[in-house]
Amino acid sequence: MSVKPGVDLPETSQESVAGKAPSFNRDRSRTGILLVLPAAAVVSVFLLVPIGEAIYYSMTNWNGLSAQWEGPSTYVTMFKDPLFWRVLENNAVLLLAVPVTLMCGVTLAALLNEHVWGWRIFRAAIIVPTAVSWVVLGVVGIQAFAQNGMLNSMLGSLGLHFLEHNWLGSPLSALTAVAITFVYSLVGVNTLIFVTGMATIDPSVYEAARLDGATWWQSFTKLTVPLLKRYFVFTFVITAISAFSALFSLIFTMTSGGPNYGTTTIEFFIYQQAFGTGAFGTGALLGIVLLVILSSVSLMQLRLMSRSE
Amino acid sequence: MATVNLENIKKSYANGFEAVHGLDLSVGEGEFMVLVGPSGCGKTTVLRMVAGLEEVTSGTLRFGNRVMNNVPPRDRDIAMIFQNYALYPHMSVSDNIGFALKLRKMPKDVISKQVGEAAGILGLINWLDQKPGQLSGGQRQRVAMGRAIVREPSVFLMDEPLSNLDAKLRVQMRVEVSRIQRRLGVATFYVTHDQTEAMTMGDRVAVLNNGSLQQCDVPQVLYDRPNNIFVAAFIGSPSMNLYEAFLGSNKTTLSLGSQSIELTDDLVKLRKGLNRYAGKKLIIGVRPEHLMIPGSNDQPYLYGDVDLIEALGSELLVHFSIDARRVHASGVQEDLDTGFSISGEGVARAHARTNVSIGNRVQIGIYVEGIQFFDPTSGNAIWD
Repeated sequence: MSVKPGVDLPETSQESVAGKAPSFNRDRSRTGILLVLPAAAVVSVFLLVPIGEAIYYSMTNWNGLSAQWEGPSTYVTMFKDPLFWRVLENNAVLLLAVPVTLMCGVTLAALLNEHVWGWRIFRAAIIVPTAVSWVVLGVVGIQAFAQNGMLNSMLGSLGLHFLEHNWLGSPLSALTAVAITFVYSLVGVNTLIFVTGMATIDPSVYEAARLDGATWWQSFTKLTVPLLKRYFVFTFVITAISAFSALFSLIFTMTSGGPNYGTTTIEFFIYQQAFGTGAFGTGALLGIVLLVILSSVSLMQLRLMSRSE
Repeated sequence: MATVNLENIKKSYANGFEAVHGLDLSVGEGEFMVLVGPSGCGKTTVLRMVAGLEEVTSGTLRFGNRVMNNVPPRDRDIAMIFQNYALYPHMSVSDNIGFALKLRKMPKDVISKQVGEAAGILGLINWLDQKPGQLSGGQRQRVAMGRAIVREPSVFLMDEPLSNLDAKLRVQMRVEVSRIQRRLGVATFYVTHDQTEAMTMGDRVAVLNNGSLQQCDVPQVLYDRPNNIFVAAFIGSPSMNLYEAFLGSNKTTLSLGSQSIELTDDLVKLRKGLNRYAGKKLIIGVRPEHLMIPGSNDQPYLYGDVDLIEALGSELLVHFSIDARRVHASGVQEDLDTGFSISGEGVARAHARTNVSIGNRVQIGIYVEGIQFFDPTSGNAIWD
């Protein structure tokens, strides 16, 4: 800032501003650091140290007892393994279930929000899976898709015997069955999130749209959906993270990763490698890959959220 | 353009509560009709029934000759301005104003032209790309107005559109809304609980209380000849002074507590109904401007004790006590948004330079021709 000659600046006030504010800010910073320190120590011990160790072990042939350093070549070996890509492909296919989960969630939320006939019963039915263990949901999935399960019984009673199939017996149909059970498991949570989001929209906005000539569908597409943008981003990200990191119980119960690795996800693959074959080093490596993927999804969420604000 | 007729309109809810009891009201082409009343009187319910946002329980709603009871809101050709404006928060000002036109699938250039014209009228040209969250209250109110006028509707509905604005902006927008309504010449229902807005904006004013129409007339008639004590107390700021009084058997001596004044023969002749109250109790109402402080001996006067003086610059509001019993119209006092809710027994307007102090006993002159008379049981005005 330039000062013209002859112009007297109030020095005392300048001093008070320049002198007091930084010291006040320094005190605040110091207090802040002190308050954060315990949490930072806990995070370091229980998160950063294990991650560092996992990175180290991912470059060894650790078998649980002894580890020999092999270096970054372990990553090259893994990336050349077709099974690794097959597992990632399964994850990619399961990711396709994410938009389906979102669409089911928002549609059900819209119906609940309209208080359609019997909405309280529907609400309970939709929300029940959220309160049930993934293992139980897996058992429900088996009951539905096994050779003598509900789906085949239904097809049989409709006279569609030619469509009957051991849904858990072939890779593609088994993966589809897992995906459907996954959608069923998460649709309740997503519906709840969207119902909450819809409750934040001012009802008079819809009334204004009705007077402006909007149909129900136009109100839904031009008002509800854009106004729920933040909720869509949030739901998309937590569902995508679940697709990578929450399916272990479901897969373990329904298919144990089979047939022929048809339903093995990266998360399940870590378990198979580490605890099935004792290749803890490979398990650590796969864990790091999963960490990178999930961190990328989370970063994407942060970026999308900040853009939608 | 259309006329709007409400014929014996009733609204009741599932719990049995009847919000509107048999309302008859008509609004002519281009007329500015204000619905005014205290909170919960049913004015917004009436507006929402006209909009189609609430079902009419019974009665007939017509726009022109067309019965609208079961016509959906989108087919009524109406535009409404909501109390909270109900702007679409994710859309720009331009998209908000043009939304209805877009839904009608009008060509983009036509939409752009009409939005531009509306924005020009409302002084929003520089704000077209902003979102509602970036605008001030006054600007949002203008956007809501723009959204309504761009549609060129047959009927305008406005639900307390100025109530969220500060006092100064409210006065400014009051003038603007009136100006735009007259320019467009569209039949308008305007809901407010602010009787100043009602008096200054309406061609006619319908006063509602407890779901019933109390009186519908031009503002000056409401002020000069209120139908009952509710209208008398609700219209006017400060409120009319209402007292229990006793009319002597000679029909000219009016006693208020321990004091009395003489009515003129002309007044008694004009208010033939007063004959029925000779030797009986009644309620009288006196506007603050019909009380003179200090009074003079050549006109009827009372003595009162000054409790409080409010200096408004242009005049004084002198609150005083007399020993007559004050009457409160139910539903009025607590809802008056005037700032004159102190519990003085009466209030008079006085010249700004009047020499009066708190605690003084003053002579209060009464302009007897301005006195209103009401039946003490029904609360209805006594005229013929």
